Amino acid sequence: MHRSVWWSMAVVPLLAAAAAPGLAQTTVNPDISIIPRFRVESNDGEKLDQGKREFSRPDLQFEELELAIQSYLNPYARGDVILTIPGPDLENSKLGIEEVYASVLRGLPLDLNLRIGKYRAEFGKLNMVHPHAWPFITQPLSQLRFFGEEGLNDLGISASVLLPTGDVYSRLTVDLLRGNSVGKAAGLPDTTGAQPLYATSARLMAFFTLGDKSDLEAGLSTYTGIHDPYNHYRFWYLNGDMKYKYRSSAYTSLTVQAEYLFNTRTVTAAPAPVSGTLNTSGLYMYADYQFFKIFSAGARYDWSEQPYSAGDRAWAVALFLGYYPVEETLGVRFQYQHTETEPGTSTRAVNLLALQVLFSMGPHKAHPF
Amino acid sequence: MKYVLLCAAACLLTTAGFGEIRIVTSLPDLADFARQIGGDKVKVDFIVRGDQNPHFVEVKPSYMMKLKSADLFFIIGMELEMWAPQLVDGSRNEKLSVVDLSKGIQKLEVPSRVDASQGDVHRFGNPHYWLDPRNVRVIMDEMVDAMVSVSPSDEKLFRANEDVYLKKLESMIPQWEGEMKPFAGSRIITFHKSWSYFTNWLNLTVADQVEPKPGITPTPSHTADLIALVRKAAIKAIVVEPFYDMSAPEQIAHAGGAKVLMLPPSEGVVDGTGDYIALMSYDVRTLAAALK
Ligand SMILES: [Zn+2]
Repeated sequence: MHRSVWWSMAVVPLLAAAAAPGLAQTTVNPDISIIPRFRVESNDGEKLDQGKREFSRPDLQFEELELAIQSYLNPYARGDVILTIPGPDLENSKLGIEEVYASVLRGLPLDLNLRIGKYRAEFGKLNMVHPHAWPFITQPLSQLRFFGEEGLNDLGISASVLLPTGDVYSRLTVDLLRGNSVGKAAGLPDTTGAQPLYATSARLMAFFTLGDKSDLEAGLSTYTGIHDPYNHYRFWYLNGDMKYKYRSSAYTSLTVQAEYLFNTRTVTAAPAPVSGTLNTSGLYMYADYQFFKIFSAGARYDWSEQPYSAGDRAWAVALFLGYYPVEETLGVRFQYQHTETEPGTSTRAVNLLALQVLFSMGPHKAHPF
Repeated sequence: MKYVLLCAAACLLTTAGFGEIRIVTSLPDLADFARQIGGDKVKVDFIVRGDQNPHFVEVKPSYMMKLKSADLFFIIGMELEMWAPQLVDGSRNEKLSVVDLSKGIQKLEVPSRVDASQGDVHRFGNPHYWLDPRNVRVIMDEMVDAMVSVSPSDEKLFRANEDVYLKKLESMIPQWEGEMKPFAGSRIITFHKSWSYFTNWLNLTVADQVEPKPGITPTPSHTADLIALVRKAAIKAIVVEPFYDMSAPEQIAHAGGAKVLMLPPSEGVVDGTGDYIALMSYDVRTLAAALK
């Protein structure tokens, strides 16, 4: 008998014991966590059309409630359901599906991982992070303009493999998606009823340990699909992301993260001002300094064009503070943001002050890098 | 039956063919025990350095890489390693056996009701049981069983190695107990509720913790209470692990007239704590000196 056959036989009896013991606590009931967010916000841009610059009355608003239900399905797979009730209308808002997917974590050839369902796709770094886990309150302009508030969140199937890069962790993820996520974000008519648009996305990432205290993750992503089903026009998004973290003690760390997104698409005259190929882009970068374990302070810079217009540019500078007295069970964030939009020739500047309060019920997971 | 025998023979041959068992442990101390048992039959690595809080470890892909090719993952259990399931999943290693070493341990402080109002990190009892050297036998027995299941042909060797090590370790226990005997009944304050097994063993009393509840950051009002307690009960030592912030303990010590004592709970960070026996000697000696 060939040695590799013997080897696989030897593995079989271990398999049953493999996944279970350390993970047993979650197998009976799913983990359930509930994370509501509230916001008080005021900006000075609402009466600019009347020639007045004054801060609006700060209202306490219900921002969103997130309900996460997570469980192992069996030793090989896990299920994740994330439901949300969006604000601000507390009385009439409906429970929606943010994500619902199953992941196969082991047992497949090549140690492949599979994901199927509706989920935040692995495109860049921030797209997979839920708003309650951001260090700031507002979504970066580039993410908002190119993907919309929901991000790249679509129905699809995803496969990922670890690449043979020695001791360095590197991973390639490829997604086949339904493809209406970006059409929605760009304010185009929803054409998914007419015909499927299918889009594909992929991310190649690598994680580098730079020493006992610092790590760097870098990734390259691409996303392509048909944005105009009548003319069969294609778009491409290319995105580079990096996250660096220096952890000097259990109480202090510095995180620097940045993403640059480039968009190229074939367009006709409308809605874009030119026909032919349109190239636009956007970026954000932020630094967040955590101190005394429970405080964080940081700054972010955004710059972005629109997916369908190079003329409509915007930039913003944001300063943010966070206070997390007991791990992530309670969080208070404050943010000041100055945004300037330049649709064509006129400039419009708006200042925003926001305070966010969130809390989290349920079992708390360790923080991913 | 014939098939089973054939399989068993194949299993033996295979493991012999592959050579060493690859083991990853959560703590460096567990890595020490695994090395003592396995000798050159094992390759051992660990995740949490002694200067990191084992409760709060960031889920990093580099840790997943350590588990990717391992046969065994030894953990303390009782949810000390809240981060372990995410690492195990991320490793994509379907032949990895996760071995919870707490099974045979006489657990302390097991709450009758699991509730986050009691803090988030000791929901299944106190997991810091490796700090009582009398528990090492239980830990190592569990390890040997798991290692034998991977490499049955090495059973004799593993058990013999375990015996040699335990003999050495257990001969030290009376000496450590003797060093601490004059201070039996002494009261100390610890930062986190991590020394319960250690103080239980040495007949010391932990009067309170700097953390109001396990895993909860010190508060000014609790710190003020502790200053009063230190003065009233004439407490001499406030024990703090290397990864905790010293400001609240120092404030209490200064105002109350006690000493802050940095005691490592795991080997390898402080000079002279290169292995578990050295660690225990260091911790006992340092604490005894402070209680004088
Ligand atoms: Zn603890």
